[in-house]
Amino acid sequence: MLKSHEKFHSANGKRLILVVDDEYVDRELLRNVLQDDYELIFAENGEEALGTMRELNETLSLVLLDLMMPVLNGMDVLRKAKTDPTISHLPIIVITSDQDAEIESLTMGAIDFIPKPYPQAGVIRARVRRTIELAEDRQIISFTERDVITGLYNREYFYKYVEQYDRHHRDVEMDAMVIDINHFRLINERLGSVHADSILRRIGETLREMMQDAGGFVCRKEADTFMLYCPHGESYEALLDRASIALSEEESDDSRVWLRMGVYANVDKGLVVERRFDRAKMAADTVQGSFTRRIGLYDDKMHEQELYSEQLIADFPNAIKERQFQVYYQPKFDIGPEVPALASAEALVRWAHPELGMITPNDFIPLFENNGLIQKLDTYVWREATRQVGEWRERFGFTVPVSVNVSRIDMHDPHLVETVLEIIEESGIDPYELLLEITESAYTQDSEQIIEMVERFRSLGLRVEMDDFGTGYSSLNMISTLPIDALKLDMQFIRNAFSGRRDTRMLEIIIDIAEYLSVPVIAEGVETEDQLVALKEMGCDFVQGYYFSQPVPAEQFEAFLLERKKTIDVLPIDWRGGRGEGRRKERLPFSKERRSSVLFGSVTRALAADYFGIYYVNIEDDRFIGYKPSERRNDFDVERRGDDFFGLLRETMMSVIHPDDAPLLLSRFTKDNVLSKLGRDGSFDLTFRLVLDGSPTYVTMKATQMEDEADRSHIVVGISNVDEQVREGRERGKSMLVAGRDELTSVKNGQAFHIVEEELDGAICEGSAEPFAVAVCDVVGVPDDAPMAGGADDQRIKDGCAIVCVVFKHSPVFRVAANRFVVLLKGGDYDSRIALMERLVEDGESRKSNGGALIVGGLATYRPDDDAEVSSVFARARDAALEAGRTR
Amino acid sequence: MKLEDLIAYGADVDSGLARCMGNEALYLRLVETVKGDDGFAQLEEALRDGRLDDAFEAAHALKGVLSNLALAPLAKPVDVITELLRGRKVMDYAGLLAEIERELTRLRAL
Repeated sequence: MLKSHEKFHSANGKRLILVVDDEYVDRELLRNVLQDDYELIFAENGEEALGTMRELNETLSLVLLDLMMPVLNGMDVLRKAKTDPTISHLPIIVITSDQDAEIESLTMGAIDFIPKPYPQAGVIRARVRRTIELAEDRQIISFTERDVITGLYNREYFYKYVEQYDRHHRDVEMDAMVIDINHFRLINERLGSVHADSILRRIGETLREMMQDAGGFVCRKEADTFMLYCPHGESYEALLDRASIALSEEESDDSRVWLRMGVYANVDKGLVVERRFDRAKMAADTVQGSFTRRIGLYDDKMHEQELYSEQLIADFPNAIKERQFQVYYQPKFDIGPEVPALASAEALVRWAHPELGMITPNDFIPLFENNGLIQKLDTYVWREATRQVGEWRERFGFTVPVSVNVSRIDMHDPHLVETVLEIIEESGIDPYELLLEITESAYTQDSEQIIEMVERFRSLGLRVEMDDFGTGYSSLNMISTLPIDALKLDMQFIRNAFSGRRDTRMLEIIIDIAEYLSVPVIAEGVETEDQLVALKEMGCDFVQGYYFSQPVPAEQFEAFLLERKKTIDVLPIDWRGGRGEGRRKERLPFSKERRSSVLFGSVTRALAADYFGIYYVNIEDDRFIGYKPSERRNDFDVERRGDDFFGLLRETMMSVIHPDDAPLLLSRFTKDNVLSKLGRDGSFDLTFRLVLDGSPTYVTMKATQMEDEADRSHIVVGISNVDEQVREGRERGKSMLVAGRDELTSVKNGQAFHIVEEELDGAICEGSAEPFAVAVCDVVGVPDDAPMAGGADDQRIKDGCAIVCVVFKHSPVFRVAANRFVVLLKGGDYDSRIALMERLVEDGESRKSNGGALIVGGLATYRPDDDAEVSSVFARARDAALEAGRTR
Repeated sequence: MKLEDLIAYGADVDSGLARCMGNEALYLRLVETVKGDDGFAQLEEALRDGRLDDAFEAAHALKGVLSNLALAPLAKPVDVITELLRGRKVMDYAGLLAEIERELTRLRAL
């Protein structure tokens, strides 16, 4: 018997097996069979065996137990093992020469048996291997399941797996890694969740293959975050590159979407598994938002940071008790009047730490948000701020409202509203004197719950400002459905707009959106007069920042209050009047009471996509507002606003349109046509080419009606660049957009005809066009504004299509309008075009008894001397068809 | 002692060697330990004292070892005595013991 268990811990990746047998010969035989694949440890009697099992209950993979032994026989060991919860999970194979005992031992919980005399070595090894596999699977599966989207292990399973892996690979250096997708939400929003899921699956599959090669494993932690655990390597770049292949061209073409990674290399196995991945996540967070670095490594600096964080957390309870947190106030100014006037203040917290000095909120707020301490801190600040407001009112007979921050963590507290009310009551202030700043990030999750809570706050008289606004597209969608009293622009947003190459367009758009919502905009982080002037011009309402004052202690803030009081004594303002921070001037071209959520849903969805311009159009008076979401080169100008939408846009378009497409635009893009199409199909779209920077570019114009029944007087029109799709589609010949097929009849559609027409035009231009003719076939009795599909005439159209297809069975047939098919005749069909047309007429004759012809046709032949393009041939054929229809 | 000796003795050397995965040295070494196994003496003493439980245990243990090493001539009488002792049968075991003794002596002589 070898006593030193420790040295048999499976250091080299082998599973550890306990062999319990009193006979030297039997032990030696098993040792010989198993020692190459397993670490073995031996016990000579049952008592010793139980001791070892208890001692190594986490490390042992299997027990081979001889039933016939002195001191405590195998059957007793089995009984005790299976009733001791600390070792009952250990799989036991019994060894016996008695068949009766086999059955008994199996019913008592042995997982398998090996007879004596021993079977062939291969049999023993196979049973041992299979038993260990089964036991490990069962153990893990018993408390977990797989992630449904990717089929990867889920987090709980993964952590267990890591633990188990480590038990058998104590000396292998391991890396913990976290991979996630930058701006995954963009993908979700732009391409939809089905697409997003398929991306997750692809990445998951790729990572699984990679980990298989590297001897590691992977799981999806949540959303777009994957965790990897594998033997220590160096080539993280290569690893990330390989994983990034899973993003398709389309997805990675979007320069905002890429994979990023955090690595905690050579993990300290003394740390619980979760902490190791926390470190990897910390490392990943360091490259968040970086365009140049995709990989973050956990290093000493981060370790120090971690220790620092731990200290702050440890010191927190005492800091609350000793009132080390101090509340500072930063004034917000109304910049509407000639002389900016104090409107309110934001309460900001500082930590006067007895050892570490003054600590800025950046150091502790995110930290406390992660562990929930933020709730205590926030309540502390709310209490202090409301008390202060009450005190000011008491002392000066005057005060301004103070805004406090409400963390997204707080929003999950079902008692939040009650807590806030309680605090307000304690302080004796009015609810309107407290403003709640709720950060944008809070809105993006569980929005329904948030909206409900915000509604409750507002119904109680509190006002709610959306903080840190402008950092993501998602929030644009949010605000449309959200009841808020002010938008507060993220400080970084202001900084970016005014730094380096000054670009304030996005800023202007957001201010415009706020205007629609009749919600004031507060700009934070304003530092210079230049910024102040520009913001005022753009229509920003309130400003907060170093330009006016840094956050100051309550005593210093009193100076602002007293200054303001003087003005008010002269010019009283009713703070309760109006929405938001103060009064609003109306500059809207549309009904001011309208706060169209649908509009902003549409506008902001559009903002996230590749639109050149988006227009919100009043179809009663043709007034419109235009947006140009982001700076692009080579665009046409987007008018900001005007009062003749169709005229102006047509004019703008005509100045840059490809000459060939001008007739198309002129004929289709008329108010009547757009509106009748909208009325019929609910949408209007038109694809044409603009010459931008000298090269033809396909664009699609789409118009949609407001979904809101209450607003049938507005439409949204967007123009987007579809050049790549169109050209790709043409090359592949399968783009639904251009070479697509008609939904109802399955023949090619108008877009497809457009492409063919264009190619033929090219050939005509070069003089290389083969002889051709165009037949236009109209379905009798179907109006040209019938729906393309889903209308009463569907069957008639299909029947008509069948006739056309039979007559011209060797030529391409296109459905270019609800009631119109076009056939392009070349080669043999061209030669027999007259006969074919006659057959069409004959078909009509044959139906005389049955309601008359279904199809009337017109034919026109290409004349190289007269026709510069297909459209003129088409026009003649169409006229002939119309004529045939009339004289029928 | 060589494999040939064991074959001559009547051992099923193929089976025994297979359990040693063809390792001849291991096989011979393990057979060597049988020659000095206390089990035989324990079996004899237990029977002499009428301790049938102990006798069974000793016989059972021997049976396992001998069958694993495929020492058929010795395993056969041990097998018989084990099955008799399993039922704690009271009888005269002298004949079987003598046979075991005889085969053991033969083995030891190799």
